[in-house]
Amino acid sequence: MKAQGGVGAGAHRLGGIGRVTGAQLYVADIPVADALHVKLVTLDCAHARILSIDSAAAEQVPGVVFVMKPEDLPQPIPRFGPQYQDRPVMADGEVKYHGEVVAAVAAETKDAAEEGARLVKVEYEALPAIFTLEAALAPGAELVQDPSIRRPGPLTGTNVLSEYHFGWGDVDAVADEADIIVEHTYDWASQTQFAIEPHGCIAAPDSDGIIVWSSIQHPYQLQKTLAKVLGMPMSKVRVFAPDPGGAFGGKQHPKLEPLVAFMALRADRPVRLILTLEEAFQAVRSAGARMTVRTGINSDGTLVFQDFVDDFLVGAYGDTGDRISAKASFLSAGPYRTPAVRITSRAVLSHTTPCHPMRGFGIPQVTWARESNLDEAALAAGVDRLEIRLKNLVKYGEEHVPGDTPADGDWAQTVRKAASEIGWGTPLPKGQGRGIAIGVKSGPTTGLSYSTVRFLGDGSVLVFSGTSDMGQGARTIYAQIAAEELGVPLAHVSVVMGDTSVVPYDQQTSASRSSVLMGNAVLNACRDIQRKLRARVAEMEGIDEKSITLDRGVMRLPDREEPIPAVLKKVLGPMGGEVVGNGEARKDALPEHPLGGTALFFEFNCTAVDVAVDTETGETTILRHVTVGDVGLALNPVQVTGQDEGAAVMGVGLSLMEHLIWDGEGRTRNLGAIDYRIPTSKDLPLELVSFSVENADGPGPYGVKGISEGSLLCTAPAVAAAVRDACGAVIRDLPLSPERVWRAIQEQS
Amino acid sequence: MQSFRYARPTTVEEAIALLEEHGDQAKLLAGGTDLVIELRNRWRQPKVVIDLKRIEELRPSIREEDGRLVITAGTVMAEISADERVRRHFPALVEAADTVGSIQIRNRATLAGNICNGSPAADTAPPLLVYGALMVIAGASGRRRVPIDEFIVGPGKVALGAAELVTAIELPIPEQPVAAAYTRMTRRHGTDLASITLCCGVDATGTTRLAYGSVGPRALLVIDETGVLANPAATDEEKAPVLKRMFSAASPSPTSMRAGPEYRVAMLPVLGARALRTAIERLSSTK
Amino acid sequence: MNDTLPIEVTVNGRLRSFDVAVNHTLLEVLRDDLGLTGTKECCVVGECGACTVLVDGTPMNSCLMLAVEVDGSEVMTVEGLGLEGKLDRLQEAFLDEGAAQCGFCIPGQLMSAHALLAQNPHPTVEDVNEALAGNLCRCAGYQQIRAAVLAAVQGGGR
Repeated sequence: MKAQGGVGAGAHRLGGIGRVTGAQLYVADIPVADALHVKLVTLDCAHARILSIDSAAAEQVPGVVFVMKPEDLPQPIPRFGPQYQDRPVMADGEVKYHGEVVAAVAAETKDAAEEGARLVKVEYEALPAIFTLEAALAPGAELVQDPSIRRPGPLTGTNVLSEYHFGWGDVDAVADEADIIVEHTYDWASQTQFAIEPHGCIAAPDSDGIIVWSSIQHPYQLQKTLAKVLGMPMSKVRVFAPDPGGAFGGKQHPKLEPLVAFMALRADRPVRLILTLEEAFQAVRSAGARMTVRTGINSDGTLVFQDFVDDFLVGAYGDTGDRISAKASFLSAGPYRTPAVRITSRAVLSHTTPCHPMRGFGIPQVTWARESNLDEAALAAGVDRLEIRLKNLVKYGEEHVPGDTPADGDWAQTVRKAASEIGWGTPLPKGQGRGIAIGVKSGPTTGLSYSTVRFLGDGSVLVFSGTSDMGQGARTIYAQIAAEELGVPLAHVSVVMGDTSVVPYDQQTSASRSSVLMGNAVLNACRDIQRKLRARVAEMEGIDEKSITLDRGVMRLPDREEPIPAVLKKVLGPMGGEVVGNGEARKDALPEHPLGGTALFFEFNCTAVDVAVDTETGETTILRHVTVGDVGLALNPVQVTGQDEGAAVMGVGLSLMEHLIWDGEGRTRNLGAIDYRIPTSKDLPLELVSFSVENADGPGPYGVKGISEGSLLCTAPAVAAAVRDACGAVIRDLPLSPERVWRAIQEQS
Repeated sequence: MQSFRYARPTTVEEAIALLEEHGDQAKLLAGGTDLVIELRNRWRQPKVVIDLKRIEELRPSIREEDGRLVITAGTVMAEISADERVRRHFPALVEAADTVGSIQIRNRATLAGNICNGSPAADTAPPLLVYGALMVIAGASGRRRVPIDEFIVGPGKVALGAAELVTAIELPIPEQPVAAAYTRMTRRHGTDLASITLCCGVDATGTTRLAYGSVGPRALLVIDETGVLANPAATDEEKAPVLKRMFSAASPSPTSMRAGPEYRVAMLPVLGARALRTAIERLSSTK
Repeated sequence: MNDTLPIEVTVNGRLRSFDVAVNHTLLEVLRDDLGLTGTKECCVVGECGACTVLVDGTPMNSCLMLAVEVDGSEVMTVEGLGLEGKLDRLQEAFLDEGAAQCGFCIPGQLMSAHALLAQNPHPTVEDVNEALAGNLCRCAGYQQIRAAVLAAVQGGGR
C-alpha cells in the first residue's frame, strides 16, 4: 500500500525545506545571546607530562574573560565515558593523545579567544608515544593507562583494554579435516568520520540547572553524563540536539560538552565551542585493526573452520573501543555455516585519539579480513568465488552463530541479485576485474524507545521522538508511519525532536536501530490512540469494542467504514481537545549473552564491483558498483537509496583513499581536508546502482529492518578482489591507493 | 588570523612604494587561495597586506602583443582556461589550469600567484616552462623580463626582489608547430594536490622539452635535442633510456604524505612516456 | 586592536554599508556580522566548498576571501535563492530527488549548481560532476544531487 506520503512512498524529506533554503539551524548557527567563545589549548605532542600552565599573558588580552585550567575543575578531575569512566574533562597532568585539551580560553569574541589560546604557555615534557599495535603489545611496553584507573583483572598491567573469546566447535580438532587451509593477516587503517559539520556545543546556566545544545547523536546519554559529572538531577539538565550535519557515529557520546558546561557555570553565562575540522579529526576516529585469519575448507568449498585473531587499535581512553571490538569480532565468521569457529578479540590502548563509533561499528574491518581470506581459499580450491559464498550461506531461519538470532532474511536472494546485476560469470576485457563480497552486521542488542503522539483537534498530528535526524531521514519516516496509521496527509504531521525536556526517552541513535525501535514506538503510540478512539466510539454507539477494528487510517464498524480523522472529530465533540497516545519499544538485555543481548535484526549486504586497473600506475577505476541490501521494507525508498548510495561511496573512500597518517611521534599529520582525502563527485564509480530486497520480514513497522550501514560493510573486499582479478595484485592493507596497488603489482612479478 | 593593515593601491607604483616601505613585513594579495590559508594558520604574519585587485594594469586580461600572449597578473585560472587563444596555442596550460583545485578555486587563483607562491607542485609551472614563459616584473628601478626557468628558485622562493612584483606573464606564440600535453599523478580522480606534475612538448624540429615538478625543490625543465623522443617511429625501448636520463635530477621528498619517493621515481617515466605520446599525436594533427 | 574598514556590498540584492575587520573572512562576516548562517563553515582551507557563495555571479570559497575584498561587489548566498519565500526550480529539484540528507553541504552545492545553470543551461553529466567537484558531501554519494541538478535544467532533460 503506497499511500500518498504514507509508508512506501518517496515522500519529501521533513526538514528538507530548511536544508535547501539555509534556514536549518545547526548548532553553530544557533544564536545565543551574550555567549562567550571558547578556544581550546592543545599541545603539538601525542604524549606529554604537563609541568605548568601559565595563563597570565592570555588573561591580559582584551576580551578574554578567563582561562579554564585543570585546577578550576572539581578535584579529582571528573572522568566520564560510555563504557569506562576514564576520560578526564580535560587532561589530568598528562596529555595522552595529540589534541587532548590542556586548557580552554573563554572570551567575548572569537578573535580574542584565539589570541588568548596562542598566549597560554604550557611547559611540558614530551614522552614516548605508543601508536601501533606492535608497540602497545610488546612485552614490557609502557602502559598507556595507569593500573589505578583500570578495572581490576589480569589485563590491568597491559595495554589490552579488553579481550574476548568467542566461538563454537573445536577448531584444533577439525583443522586436519580441511583439504585447504589459508592464513593471512589483514590491516584496516584508522580513519575518521569526517562529517561535513564539525562538532559543536553551547552550554548556558539556567537557574539551578543547565541547558546544553550539542551536535550529539545521543541526547539522553549526554543528559545523563552531564547530570552525573555536574552533580545535578537529570531533570535540571536540558539538552537540545539540533539535527547534526552528518555524524556517521562520530557524534554519539559526549566529549567536550562536560568541559563547556563547567565553563558556563563558572562564567554564569552561555559558553560556545565549535570545533575546527582539524580539532574534529583529533576528537574522534575509527578503530584501525589487524586481523589474522585462518580459513579451512574442503575441496568443494564447504567451510570446515574459521579462526580469527582480531586486534583493534583503540585510543588513549576506552570510549567505545571495547564494545566495537567485541560486537564486530562476534560476527567475524560471517553469515556462513561454519562447523568450528574460534575468535580472539582485543581492544588495545594507544596514545592516539580515542576511537569512537564509525558507520559499520568494526564490521567493515572484520569483513575485510574474512571475505578476502575466503576468496583466497576459493582460488586455492578452484571454486568460483560466488559459488563458495552461496554454498556456505545460511538459509532463512538458520543460525550463523549457534544460540544467537538466526538469519532473518532470504540472504541468498540478496546475493543472487547482486551477482545478476554485475553479470557474474560474463567475461571482462583484459585489465578489468570483478569482485563480490558479503557483509552482515547486527542491529542493536538492547534498546528502549518511547514516543508520544498527539492527535490534535483538527486532525493534525504531533509526533515526539528522541531520535537524532543526522541525514538518515528519521523524522520523515516517523511522520509517514503516523500519517499511515491515523489516515492523515503527510503535510499535517509535524515531528518534534531534540529536546530532552519535552520529548520522552530514546536510548540512542546508532546501530541502524531507529526505523525499528523508534518506528515501533511511534507505531505503538498511534495504536494507543486507535485503541482510545475505539473505546470511546464503542461507548458512544453502545456496541462491543471487539466489533470495531482500526487499520491504517480507517475505522471499520459493523455497519460502515470511517476515516480516522472523522472519528476523532466525533469523539472530541464540541469541547474539542486532543487524543494522546504513548508507545514503547524495548529490547531487553540478556546479561548472560557475551554481547549483553541478541541481535534485534541484521543488516545484510552483498556488494559486487567491476574495476579497471592501470597496471603502470596502480590507479583503480570502479566501472560498475552494485550494492544490494536486505531491508525488509523501504519505508521511504528515496531516502533508502540516498543512504545506500552514500554508504557505498563512503565505502569507496574507505577502500581507496582514506587513512590517518601518524608521524614518528604519534602526532596526526593529515588533519583537515587537504591531506585526508574523501571521494568527490569525480571519484564515483562510473555506474553505481543500489537495490533493496523487500520481504517485509523485519521486526519494525510493516516488516522494516534497519538500513544505512549495509552498503559499506563489504566494499573493501569486493574492490580488492576485483583488483586482484584484474591484475593479480594482492593487497591486504588498506587503503588501496595507486601507490599500494602499484607496489603489489611489482611484488607479484 | 592576526590583524594587519590592508592596503588597496590603484597603481603598480603605489604597490612598489608600499613594498619598499615595509619590505618582508608586507604580503601581496591577488586571489588569496594560498595567502588566506597562510594567514589563518599564522604561517605568515605580515604587518601589511597589499591587495592588487584595484590596480588597472593588473586587472584580468589576455592580449596579443608583439608575437606574445600577455596574461596580466590578476588573470585567474578559469579565464585562462576559457580563452580561445590560450586553448589554441597553449593547450597544455589549459590542461594544467583546469586541475588547480575546484571551480571555486579556479575562479579566484591567479596564474601569477600560482608561480610566485613557489610550490614545487604548482601545476602551471611545467607547461609555462615548456612554453618558455617570461615573467614581467616591475620594481623601483623599472620593468624587466625574466625567463620562468630563472624565476623559479626553490620551495617558496622566486627571483623577486623585496620591492618587486609580477605584472604579467608572457607566452611567446610559437612560430613553428609545437604541441604539448600536461599530466599529473594524484591520490584520487577528484581535485587533489599532485605528487607529480609533468608537461611534455615536441616541435617540428624534433626537440622535446619536458618539465616536471613535485619531485624536488623546484620544477625542472630538461630538453632533448637528439630527436629520439620526438620521433614517432622510434620504439619505446629506444626512448626509455633517454627519458630515464631526463628524470635523473628528480629528488622526491622521503616524508611526503602524498606519495613515497620510490613510487614517484617509477611514475615519472610512465607519465613522461604518456605525455610524450599525446604531444606527438597533437603535433601530427596540426600538420 | 583590529583594523576595520567600511565596505559597501550588495548581499542577496540588498545594498549593505558597514564596517568589517580586515582580518575577517567573507564567510565570518556573512555568518557573524550579517546573521546569514546558511553558508557553512567546515574545512576553512578551500577544499570542501561548504562556504561557497557567488561573488558577481561567480562561485567562490568565502573562507578564502577577506570580507574587504568584496567591497563594491554583489554577493549571493543560499538565502538569496528563490523569490519571495518560494523555492526556485533547483531547490524544488533537490527536494524531489532527495538530494539533501543531513543538509550541511547543500547550501554550497546549490550555489555551485545555480552558477552552473546560469552559465550553461544544458549541462552534461560531466559538466555537473565538474561543477560540483569542489563541494564535498559525506552523506549522499552525489548521485541524487547530480540528478537534482539535471532535473532542474530548463525544459527538463537528464
